[in-house]
Amino acid sequence: MNNASFVSHAELADLLRRLSEQAEVWVPTRQAMTPHRPMFRPFQAGMDLDFQPMPVTSAKGVLFPQGEELLKFRKEKSLSEATVTTLLWEDPAVFRPTIVFGCRPCDARGFLVFDRAFLQGSFVDPFYKARRDKNLVVSMVCPEPDAACFCGAVGSHPADTEGSDVQMIPVKEGYVLHGLTEKGQEFLKNVENTPSQAQQEEARQVWTSAQGSVDSGASLTDDAQHFFKRFADTAFWRFHTERCLSCGVCTYLCPTCYCFTLTDETNGVHGERLRSWDACMFHHFTQEASGHNPRPTKAERFRNRVGHKFSYFPEKHGRFACCGCGRCLRHCPVGMDIRAIVRALGESEEVHD
Amino acid sequence: MTRTQLKEHPYRPHLAVIKEIIQETPTIRTFRLTWKDPAVSAHFSFQPGQVGQLSAFGVGESTFVINSPPTRREYLQFSVMRTGEVTRALHQLNVGDTVGVRAPLGNSFPYTSMKGRDILFIGGGIGMAPLRTLLLTMIDNRADFGDITVIYGARSPEDLCYRYEFDAWRAARVNLVLTVDREFPGWTERVGFVPTILAEEAPNPYNRVAITCGPPIMIKFVLAGLRELGYEDDQIYTTLERRMKCGIGLCGRCNIGGTYVCVDGPVFSGTALRAMPPEL
Amino acid sequence: MNTLQSIVESIWDQVDVVLGWRVGYDPLHPVPTFVRDRKDIASLIWNPLCAPNLSVFLAKFFRTASQRDKKIGILAKGCDSRSLTALIQEGLVDRDRLLIVGLTCPGTVDPDALAAARTQSGPITAVAFANGMVEITSADGVECVPLDRVIERRCQRCRHAHPVLYDVVLHDFEPRPVPKDPFAHVEALENQSLEARKAFWLKELERCLRCYACRNACPLCVCQDHCLAESRTPKWVTQKDTVADKFLFHMIHTLHLAGRCTECGECERACPMKIPVGLLKEKTAQIAMDLWHYESGTDPGARPPLLSYDASVTGI
Repeated sequence: MNNASFVSHAELADLLRRLSEQAEVWVPTRQAMTPHRPMFRPFQAGMDLDFQPMPVTSAKGVLFPQGEELLKFRKEKSLSEATVTTLLWEDPAVFRPTIVFGCRPCDARGFLVFDRAFLQGSFVDPFYKARRDKNLVVSMVCPEPDAACFCGAVGSHPADTEGSDVQMIPVKEGYVLHGLTEKGQEFLKNVENTPSQAQQEEARQVWTSAQGSVDSGASLTDDAQHFFKRFADTAFWRFHTERCLSCGVCTYLCPTCYCFTLTDETNGVHGERLRSWDACMFHHFTQEASGHNPRPTKAERFRNRVGHKFSYFPEKHGRFACCGCGRCLRHCPVGMDIRAIVRALGESEEVHD
Repeated sequence: MTRTQLKEHPYRPHLAVIKEIIQETPTIRTFRLTWKDPAVSAHFSFQPGQVGQLSAFGVGESTFVINSPPTRREYLQFSVMRTGEVTRALHQLNVGDTVGVRAPLGNSFPYTSMKGRDILFIGGGIGMAPLRTLLLTMIDNRADFGDITVIYGARSPEDLCYRYEFDAWRAARVNLVLTVDREFPGWTERVGFVPTILAEEAPNPYNRVAITCGPPIMIKFVLAGLRELGYEDDQIYTTLERRMKCGIGLCGRCNIGGTYVCVDGPVFSGTALRAMPPEL
Repeated sequence: MNTLQSIVESIWDQVDVVLGWRVGYDPLHPVPTFVRDRKDIASLIWNPLCAPNLSVFLAKFFRTASQRDKKIGILAKGCDSRSLTALIQEGLVDRDRLLIVGLTCPGTVDPDALAAARTQSGPITAVAFANGMVEITSADGVECVPLDRVIERRCQRCRHAHPVLYDVVLHDFEPRPVPKDPFAHVEALENQSLEARKAFWLKELERCLRCYACRNACPLCVCQDHCLAESRTPKWVTQKDTVADKFLFHMIHTLHLAGRCTECGECERACPMKIPVGLLKEKTAQIAMDLWHYESGTDPGARPPLLSYDASVTGI
């Protein structure tokens, strides 16, 4: 097999250092104060890498930063006292190439949702495209799915290769890497070692056992069909969202959530137009200047979140806007379980008052 | 800007200069703009019903319908009601000031399919803005249409927009029915809510298209009234309004079910409205 | 002997609803529940994993306009009972409308600490508590961890493990003893140099996502739909992803809670990035104690110091 390479634990840091010379390499790292919640950061020598627990944040910021400048402007008074604005527009900057290294298969599939939204909708988002064109995804076979994981219910599994350029498989002495795409094959030229026969065999076993390691119950596809039937069932949505705090944890940690806001931020005569993450769970998100709000309570807002992920988006793009990583549930302060709500859509029994 | 320019740089506004400001009502101002860049000016085109994002730089953007017709190219016109922060900032601008425009966005009225038919416009308050674009386009091609009736209402006479044009509309054989909510000294036209006047006028639905825009509550009763008069869903068009940020179907605000008002709208047929989930 | 179920049964006729906890998606994560049907009383649970402070729902989300004659039943740990008291003090909740089931509390479990203390790794199927130990059952077998080793930071400094306000109390767990110095964490930070403290907060707040879980989980952050974090008129904070903006939000959040915060620590627990934002509020609690000998949420009749103005007070 000429598409496999091997990197030992000892050589990993050096590989990442070499890769960092060509690209910004995002890796899951452990922070001193939060040892159990690794997060993605651009690689730097001496970093405390941690591929074991699922990172608290997804890698989505690599392609869709939390805050991003879209344009700059400058306002001045002309001689006639009129305000003249100058726009400083740079075409989506020549972004540095990026490598997402060691994300989970679910995170890799999350980018496919972004691709549909940002590249295959009515408009192509030039900022996303410029970043995505120079991006490579190295996902790792998921070592330890937990009770919040449900990739199995959204058509995936912990050893899924969809959306990845390279798949890394953890073995005792290091990682076996497989190039899955042309870009991925090219990438493997950075890793000269080929795995031994024994390592290949171990990788095959790890892959196979991971593939079957998530039992997330039946697919959510059938339940999701009932969404519109439930749409106007106000009592259903009130009942299921009663404990929601309307914060943004679920959406900000979600690899597939891409709602944003545009704001002008100024400093004297200078200013910039900023695109930043926003959350459909926030009250003000759809608040109109007239005072009208089409989604006035958390019941309507959560319904929209379920609808977007499991009905509207699949209808348009042919896949759930959910990769089953379970972050929304795992880190929700009150354990809101979107899986359970989707499952309840189809229940014939009225579970609420 | 051309469609291609907008496709390539959907977040990029082009600069326009305010040439004229018309105080329509105590809270509504109309801005007549010209593009700063002659190249944009030469290539800009749009269809009646399409919208633009106006930037008050430093405050932000908001969506407004282009209410000058594509047949008149000397300026681009937007009518802005002062309600929120962006509209307040726009109202503070003067002739000569610069704004940003991202346009054209959204879909448009099915103008071609309306040719050869009778037309009924039903507008309320600022809701006359999108209707004006289509009305003036039709006036500029008057021979293509049969009867054109406009029912236009507002709370009071001073809340009616485009008053300075009413004579011109009538001169173009437009049957203009004006109404205000209650009696006012010197008011000689109709008195009553728009849906009531619609029922009284009862324009025959035969081979006619009805286009309505106004406050949500008015639209609701007008749609019911039109159906009462025998108008089929596919004879009715309206425009919807939602809070928008991106205008290109991404930011997640303006969707009603899977329909994005910014790219799939703002114009919807009665048939399309019926297919939408109840989240207005 | 009283059990949670027997107590709730005994008050059932007086209430419309009981706010409590039930099992969540796994045994480690109980979730808030609103019991309106008598048959659901059986689903209620109380153990040191029941972390969410239920008083958050009272002023912000929860409305019972109908049946005004009946009360809202609520389960309350010590810290939760302080939040309830503060809400009553500020007139945001009517004491007469509440039926409080107080719970003596041994401290709540920090899931990250529990994960670290475990030697096994299989998915957890059951958790039990006995004799100061957490007993965890998984596919790998049963293992025991001392509860003391895995309780949250907020509980290590708790002064009111026995509820301060209740109508009936359930004594299922020994309340945690009052620590020697509840402000030890704040003091340890304060004893560092200005540069070190600045570096600490820059590093911590850099992770902030501005998801506002800290705000929304706070029982006393009651103006959230009109929060200045999102207000554009006037504009207080930008939407920029910079530490300066994040710091500004957290400082404003803290100052709005000065003399009000009941130290329940929900802000810190709710933070997915585990930023110790509770430290900021603990400092203001310490100041209120030093200046006015005032401890928020301990006396329903007391007036919060910053809600009163006394011109004769000097030296502040």
